[in-house]
Amino acid sequence: MTETYAVELQDVVKQFGDVVAVNHVSLQIRDGEFFSLLGPSGCGKTTTLRMIAGFEMPTGGAIYIHGERQGYRPPNKRPINTVFQNYALFPHMTVAENIAFGMEMQRTPKDEVKRRVAEALAMVRLSNMANRKPKQLSGGQQQRIALARALVNRPKVLLLDEPLGALDLKLRKAMQIELKALQEEVGITFIYVTHDQEEALTMSDRIAVMNNGIVHQVDVPDRIYEHPADRFVADFIGETNFIPVKVVSLSPQIIVELASGEKIPAGWAEEGIAVGENAILSIRPEKMTLLEEKEVDGPPPADIARVRGAVRHLVYVGTDTRHTVALQDGTEIVVRLQNSYIDEEPWEIDESTIVEWNAAHARVLKE
Amino acid sequence: MTTPSSAGYNARRDRLRAKLGGWSLTTYGILAFAFLYLPILILVIFSFNDSRSVSKWAGFTIDWYFKMIKDGQIMLSVWNSLFLAIVSTAIATVLGTLAAMGLERYSFRGKTAVDAMFYLPVIIPDIAMAIMLLLFFNMSGIGFTPWKVNFFGVKLAVPYSVIIGHVAFNTSFVAIVVRARLAQMDRTLEEAAQDLYANAWQTFRRVTLPMLMPGIVGGALLAFTLSLDDFVITFFTSGAGFNTLPVRVFGMIKKGVTPKINAVSTLMLAVSLSLVILSILLRSRSGDEDAVQMGF
Repeated sequence: MTETYAVELQDVVKQFGDVVAVNHVSLQIRDGEFFSLLGPSGCGKTTTLRMIAGFEMPTGGAIYIHGERQGYRPPNKRPINTVFQNYALFPHMTVAENIAFGMEMQRTPKDEVKRRVAEALAMVRLSNMANRKPKQLSGGQQQRIALARALVNRPKVLLLDEPLGALDLKLRKAMQIELKALQEEVGITFIYVTHDQEEALTMSDRIAVMNNGIVHQVDVPDRIYEHPADRFVADFIGETNFIPVKVVSLSPQIIVELASGEKIPAGWAEEGIAVGENAILSIRPEKMTLLEEKEVDGPPPADIARVRGAVRHLVYVGTDTRHTVALQDGTEIVVRLQNSYIDEEPWEIDESTIVEWNAAHARVLKE
Repeated sequence: MTTPSSAGYNARRDRLRAKLGGWSLTTYGILAFAFLYLPILILVIFSFNDSRSVSKWAGFTIDWYFKMIKDGQIMLSVWNSLFLAIVSTAIATVLGTLAAMGLERYSFRGKTAVDAMFYLPVIIPDIAMAIMLLLFFNMSGIGFTPWKVNFFGVKLAVPYSVIIGHVAFNTSFVAIVVRARLAQMDRTLEEAAQDLYANAWQTFRRVTLPMLMPGIVGGALLAFTLSLDDFVITFFTSGAGFNTLPVRVFGMIKKGVTPKINAVSTLMLAVSLSLVILSILLRSRSGDEDAVQMGF
């Protein structure tokens, strides 16, 4: 039996003239899921969202909402609602009128409209603002009204286009938690567009990382961070070190060779990489440690990578210290060491060192 | 050069300069306003002059206003002006709003040309437009056929040609004002309405139109004022026997200027001025709202 998804995109393409904004995107978004579209501006995430909403029609491919093909169905006939980036509250209507708008258009009986508006206002804790005009509210309040206006219609899917983008940092953090709690409470599928990776990682059940109209990876937050599928994802999400290498072997173990001639093991290699090819080794700064010459005794175990370098620079950032280390081939990498003990003797500048990490954390990616 | 005494002298000189500069600027301002408004003030004052003279003050009276009201021909021209302004404004407001929507929202072949043509009546001299219209009415056979109508108990005969003429220039003005408003409007508001299940008509009726209203009312007021004040186009497109107030005043002047003309002019001035002020108020108020909406 094939699963029916809340939203399914099959090979969707959107072209504006010669520009391909969305390039053969396929996504399956499950019912009740908090799904994020994450990418830099211009990556096609908003266009994808607008196609689901019906504001843009795909040039190719198909969009299904709860198994129903949407085709050229206009936005007002789709069982979804949107929270817009600038909220798009109607300035000439009161807060209550704004929230009632969707139900009025659907000819919901008057007393039911009244009851549900009151419920929606209570849900976002703004019951006393019912008769205000949107411009009399703060940014955070407007944001919550926009949310109430969409959710009151009990859509099958809620689309959110960078809804927290206009708020200041503190309020944004608070709203992230509130939004996630609300989503769990109402159980509606949320499709959330953001360029803020931290926001996506904290809130989402799954994330699709996009760039240049292409989906690079769809996965749960920790897999996106720990197992980036390619160079773009590794680079875009969090901080990472890229070391140029040459692939020596792929099985039984993945072995790569640095320009210095050092051969080290790696945990995973991107599909399509062949032995003898140039590639990059990607590894997060907090997965590595620094050893002194005297601590090393004989060759490392098969799953441990060790390379020689020299400490070039230290930056103390409280919980940890960022060590910039120059490898023998000149590549500079960053190693973050946790400051677990007080009064630990720091590394000295230009002191030679051995960088060590577990091969499982290192991923061989295409250049 | 930089001794303390010379520095003190310089400071005094600078102060004097600043003071003189301020004074002369104020004087200049007063003179400029006097140049603009003194003639109008004199016109208004002499409409209350208790004498036939329009240059020698002989005491206060409101006699001329009574004489004006009793003058059947003046009153008929007032009714003509009002009727013409109301009808042409109504038509021009609808046409101008639709044109603004079309030009702002849709792209079509030849849009730039249409766009430019819409500004034409605003730019070209009235006299050129008047003569074009006159030729058009003659050649097309529309002529000066009057529309016989009972307007609040007054029997009027307003030539269709004048109405068409006024609609022709008013439509442009309405379109320009409404379009400015439309360009400012946030289009996501319309998308939000559609997203909340409103069809095209409901979106227009419930969101677009209310948001455009200040522009539409502003445009209509402008059109109404222009129609009331117009002389040239009315004069050329009305044929014989039809007078609006400005045309009537022109006719009276040929027989010599009396304070009655001052009274009529003062009345026209008052009406036009209040309409302009109303239009500015409406537009500036809606402007504030925009600024707030955009989060500034």
